[in-house]
Amino acid sequence: MRPRFLIATLLLATGLAIAAPKAGSVVTVRVLTAKVMKAPKFIGPAAGDVSRGEQLKFEEAKGDWYRVSGAISGWIHKTNLTERQVTLSSKPGAEGAGAASRDEVELAGRGFTPQVEGEYRQKNPNLDFSHVDKIEKTSIDPGELEAFVAEGKLGGGQ
Amino acid sequence: MKRALLVAALAAVSCKVNLTPEGISKAYRGIKEARKDLTPENEYYVGRAVATNILAKSNYKYRDESGFSSGKLEGMTAYVNAVGNVVAMASLETPHDGDRPTPLAGWHFVVLEDKTINAFAAPGGYIFVTAGAIEQAGNEDELAAILAHEVAHVRRGHALGSIKKSRMAGVMKEMLDSSVELDKQALGTLTEAFDGAMDDMMDSLLVKGYSRDTEFEADSVGLEIMLKAGYDGSAFVSYLKKLNAHQATGSGGFSATHPKASDRISKLEKKVAKAPKVTVPKARINRFKAAVLGVE
Repeated sequence: MRPRFLIATLLLATGLAIAAPKAGSVVTVRVLTAKVMKAPKFIGPAAGDVSRGEQLKFEEAKGDWYRVSGAISGWIHKTNLTERQVTLSSKPGAEGAGAASRDEVELAGRGFTPQVEGEYRQKNPNLDFSHVDKIEKTSIDPGELEAFVAEGKLGGGQ
Repeated sequence: MKRALLVAALAAVSCKVNLTPEGISKAYRGIKEARKDLTPENEYYVGRAVATNILAKSNYKYRDESGFSSGKLEGMTAYVNAVGNVVAMASLETPHDGDRPTPLAGWHFVVLEDKTINAFAAPGGYIFVTAGAIEQAGNEDELAAILAHEVAHVRRGHALGSIKKSRMAGVMKEMLDSSVELDKQALGTLTEAFDGAMDDMMDSLLVKGYSRDTEFEADSVGLEIMLKAGYDGSAFVSYLKKLNAHQATGSGGFSATHPKASDRISKLEKKVAKAPKVTVPKARINRFKAAVLGVE
C-alpha cells in the first residue's frame, strides 16, 4: 500500500467529532443510526433517521447542534457526524460479509475490525452474538422520551 | 521511510508531536501505551464482544428478550432504557477531556436475570444491570445513579483502559505495518490481541474490578451526569448507603469489584451537599413503582 494513502487513512480514521464546518459543506453520519431532530435538543419530535455513511449539507451551528439538509432536514448533534468518509459496516455474518471492497476495508478502520470479530467468533463458537445483534437494533422513540422527561420534570440533555 | 511516515501520521493526529526523529520516536513509544487511540469502530467491535461475554456469563438470561427481538421494549426494560437514555444524553452535556465519542450503535440498557447486586458497562455503550441491583433501588433517582455511574465508565473509557499495554503495542504495530487486507499472520496477531483484550476487560469487570480511583471517577462523573439530567444527587448517596449495609453482611457481586461503599460516600457527600435541591415529582415516584415493583 502506498504510504500517502495510508497516511490519509490514518488521519481520517482518527478524526472523530468535528469543529463547525463551513456553511454548505458536506458532513457524514458516523454512528450506525441517528435521529435528526426538529429542534436542537435530544428530546422532542424527530424529523427522521439517518444512517452511517449518509451525507448531509451543513447549514449552521447552534452550540453542539448542527442544522443540516438533505434527504432529511433538521438538527443533529455534532458527535454523530464526521468530515471523513465512512462506509456501511460489513459485519461478520451479515449479507455481503467477506465481499467488502478494498476501499471499504480501508475506510472501516484498522485494528479490531469485522474481520477480527469474525475470526474471534470462529474461535469461540460457544459465544452467541445474536443477542447483541438484537439489542443494538432497538432504539427509544424521541417523542416518547420527551413525554417521559416532561412527566418526570427532568431536564435531560436540554 | 514508509514506517517513519506511518508513525508520523498516526503520531501527528494522536499526540500532536513535532515531526523530528526524536519527536517521532517519542510519539511511537506513546502510541504503544495509548489505549485511547482505538477508533470508535474498534471500540464498537470490542464492545459487542464484551457484551456477548457478559451475556454468556449470565446464560443469556435477561429481561424482555422478545422486546429486543421485535424492537419494541416493554415493562421494566423499556423503563430502564428511558432512564438510561436520559442519563446518556445528559452525559454529552457534561464533557471531559479524553471522553470516548458517542457510541456508534447508541446506548443500550439490559436487565440481567440475576438476584445479586451488580452492573457492568461494556465499551460502545452496552450497559448491563442486574435485577437485584434494580430491586435495591427505592426510586427512579437511585436507578439513575446506578446507570449514570455505568455511563461514566463508558464515557471515560475505563474498560478499554484495562487492556494490557503490551497487547496494545501489538495492535498498534499491526495497524501500522499490515497491508490493507490482513494476511493470515496479521489477522492472527490481531485476533490474539482481541482475545487477550477480552480476558483483560472481563477480569476487570467481573473479577478484580477497576482501581479505586477509577471507581471514584465514575462516581464523580456519574453524579455530574445525573444532576445535569435533573435527578436528585442525594439519591446517589442513599443508594450507596444501601450498598454499605449490604457489604456489612454479604460479599460477591459488586462487593468483589468495587471499593467500600462507605469510602465512596465520603468522596461524594460534599459534592452532593453543594448540588441544587431537587423536589421529586409524584409522577416519577409512581412510574418507578409501576415499572419496577409492579404497583399501579
